[in-house]
Amino acid sequence: MTEYALEVDRLVKTYASRGKPQVRAIDGLTFSVPRGIIFGLLGPNGAGKSTLLRVLTTLTRPTGGSARVMNFDVLKKPIEVRRRISSVIQETAAELLLSVRDNFLTYARFQGLETSAAKSRADGLIDEFQLTGEVEKKVQDLSGGFRRRVQVAKAFLVDTPVLFLDEFSTGMDPILKRQMMHRLRAEAEKGRTIILTTQILSEAEELCDDILIINKGRQVARGDLSTLKLLSQGVYEIEMTFDRMPETMAADLAKLQPIRSSMDGNSIEVAVKLKEGNVMDVVTNLSRDRRVLHVEVRGATLEDIFVELTAPSGARGEENREAS
Amino acid sequence: MSALSAVVYREARIRATNVTFIFWDLLYPLLYMLVFGVGVNAALGAPAGLPGVDYNEFFLAGVLAMASFAIASNTSWSFFLDRDNGIFYEMLTYPLSRSEYLLGKVIFNVLVSIVQAVLTLVVGRWLLGVRVQWRSLPELLVGMALGTAGWFFFYAIFALSTRRNDVFNAVTSVFYFFFLFASSMFYPLDPLPVWFRRVALANPITWQIDWLRHFSIGTGGVRPVLWEGAAFFVFAVLSFLYAVRCLQRQE
Repeated sequence: MTEYALEVDRLVKTYASRGKPQVRAIDGLTFSVPRGIIFGLLGPNGAGKSTLLRVLTTLTRPTGGSARVMNFDVLKKPIEVRRRISSVIQETAAELLLSVRDNFLTYARFQGLETSAAKSRADGLIDEFQLTGEVEKKVQDLSGGFRRRVQVAKAFLVDTPVLFLDEFSTGMDPILKRQMMHRLRAEAEKGRTIILTTQILSEAEELCDDILIINKGRQVARGDLSTLKLLSQGVYEIEMTFDRMPETMAADLAKLQPIRSSMDGNSIEVAVKLKEGNVMDVVTNLSRDRRVLHVEVRGATLEDIFVELTAPSGARGEENREAS
Repeated sequence: MSALSAVVYREARIRATNVTFIFWDLLYPLLYMLVFGVGVNAALGAPAGLPGVDYNEFFLAGVLAMASFAIASNTSWSFFLDRDNGIFYEMLTYPLSRSEYLLGKVIFNVLVSIVQAVLTLVVGRWLLGVRVQWRSLPELLVGMALGTAGWFFFYAIFALSTRRNDVFNAVTSVFYFFFLFASSMFYPLDPLPVWFRRVALANPITWQIDWLRHFSIGTGGVRPVLWEGAAFFVFAVLSFLYAVRCLQRQE
């Protein structure tokens, strides 16, 4: 038996629609994911993340190449793949016409869980996800946030070896999100493989053991956070607060050709690619004739790496103009 | 088997916990017969060419076929509801095959149609004095079960082939008009023009109605009814296979 939860080999998915050129949503991706880790799949909108998840969860048939989940081919053995996965897709998918409890019990039936085990696990999740007051309500009568809780909680009702989460934290309050992140870490420690996509890069930075960045259906970068940071050596993030925002600051920042920059009140945050010795020169220039209350210089964040690797040429300037 | 039972359980929980659904599911044909059938029976009396049969007795098979047609159309419409709230795609990642998903959905609705038919027969006999050949009840219920399944698979093809429920609603309206009126549901075919009879005889709901009518009040010969039953069976199987194909293409 292979030690990989996912094995993707030269995977291609094209979409053809009448009168329009063919779109290659996934363009020859090859990668594998070891078991028991949290794997982040990142990319800008339209990069092919959701298509890739749809192929891996057997919702979409690949056009070429192969994909295996827990050693089963998604095309040849889709039911075996489905027996080994749980998925939380992007939309708030829940049984609107059923109560919260019935949502759990119905899902448990589909996953082949014994009724007594299903009831006791459902009770535990209802408590953990603070759904006690809503348990007999139909999901259609719940707010969006509670619906999301029901949907995400279902994934923990069963112990499938692979869990797919597409933008899992959408619609969650910060406390629940923090709780979920602890839960995901605990699940990975128990040996579950978690594949997640997110637009919130700080989440990926905190959670993921391994990250794949894709763009236009192709791999752009792959590795753990420290490996990715090596790809972006020389990127620094400078944060400064002034007693009042200098009038020429927007122009000063633009001159730096930053990866990204923002101005908020009397503070600026800028990510720039520099030679190591030049960092303090930049700080000095920005501070000239101004009263500085706070300065912080950091290495690149995942967001900086992401922007640097995926932004189309010329887009950085646009982004900076917008931010300034 | 557990996958099938899970789909049946889901359908049952949705219906059982929504009183309006279950009320309409069970009483729809009966109410139709009481309101429409009684009116026509009082106004027109016996249908032409069928001595000794009053309109309520004639209409019984039509109303049962209409009920299975309506259950099928309503169940197919649920694909749109499931798709809109995302559960449809999530369910397609559950450990069950596409054919188990379709069969599970239809099994529950077949059970509903059988309960519905028995209720209609019993209350029809009690309130309207409709004479039924009780010895042929098993064949009649087979006609209800196969009819509900066949129409559900047929409707599922259209529900799964379009993403827009306004398009599906338009298709449903055309189907209601064509299938129900160009058939033997409301009137005997013998006195009608030849072209109309030909259209009606090519209509699968006529095959189902003739079967139900034969096994409820004994009209029509056995041989033509068996042929019509076989034709409906083929229609149901082909619809099932095509519906599974449509489900496999959901992306």
